[in-house]
Amino acid sequence: MNPIAISLTASAILFALGLFAVLSRRNAILVLVGIELMLNAANLNFIAFWRWGGADAALSGPLFVLFSIAIAAAEAAVGLAIILMAFRHTRSNDLNRLDSLHG
Amino acid sequence: MIPLLILTPAILLAAIGAAWKARPVHAALLLALCLSLVGCLYVAMGAHFIGLVQFSVYVGAVAILIVFSLLITRPSDDDEEKVRRMKTGMPALACSLPLLVMLGFTMFKQSALLEAPADEPAMSLKVLGEILFTDYAPAVLAMAVLLTAVMIGAALFAREPSKKPEPPSDS
Repeated sequence: MNPIAISLTASAILFALGLFAVLSRRNAILVLVGIELMLNAANLNFIAFWRWGGADAALSGPLFVLFSIAIAAAEAAVGLAIILMAFRHTRSNDLNRLDSLHG
Repeated sequence: MIPLLILTPAILLAAIGAAWKARPVHAALLLALCLSLVGCLYVAMGAHFIGLVQFSVYVGAVAILIVFSLLITRPSDDDEEKVRRMKTGMPALACSLPLLVMLGFTMFKQSALLEAPADEPAMSLKVLGEILFTDYAPAVLAMAVLLTAVMIGAALFAREPSKKPEPPSDS
């Protein structure tokens, strides 16, 4: 079996697991866990294509992953800050309770 | 090839645990394990610097931030979570399974057309730094601005709202 086939299949499974976590969880922080899994699946694809793609793409794959990791860190920081703010209002992380907006 | 065969099942098992465990702290710790194994896979693939960044940013910052957020907030009851997941699990599976089949089939078919190069592509830190600060310099600057804005925004969101002083009573 081709190594790129293994890593791309693993990345597809990782993405599907992340999507499953996002859709099935009701705890807002665990939804963020699912999003992190999906981002990692995308990063794994970039590195796999850089390593085994065979194209003359220099360092495009690792550079994309570098920027993606920075954006993921920013997303996690803002996401958790918003979740903490919502927790102060509702005293819960349950997404079902966040069904109303107050100005 | 051998590290890939060892690490890939371990990554997927940790990811299954992170997506399925009812107890939030266990799920977060399994996410940290999954992220660190992905970092090991990057190192095994020859992207040593990216593996290091993965460890320091994802495992060292993001996963720990998630664990601390779970400790600060009060996670919901495990039994309640298990009951709820029975309701939400099937629709989530119905959405993610067709996607998995489609992605897996496409990637597997396309990857058969690619031939793995014999030699590992070189990833020199000197070259990476030169590319980052010449061709990608605007992107690096934009990222710096974004991260600064995020830092300020997150601090503003997460701070305790200041209590207004009560007006003095007339009596």
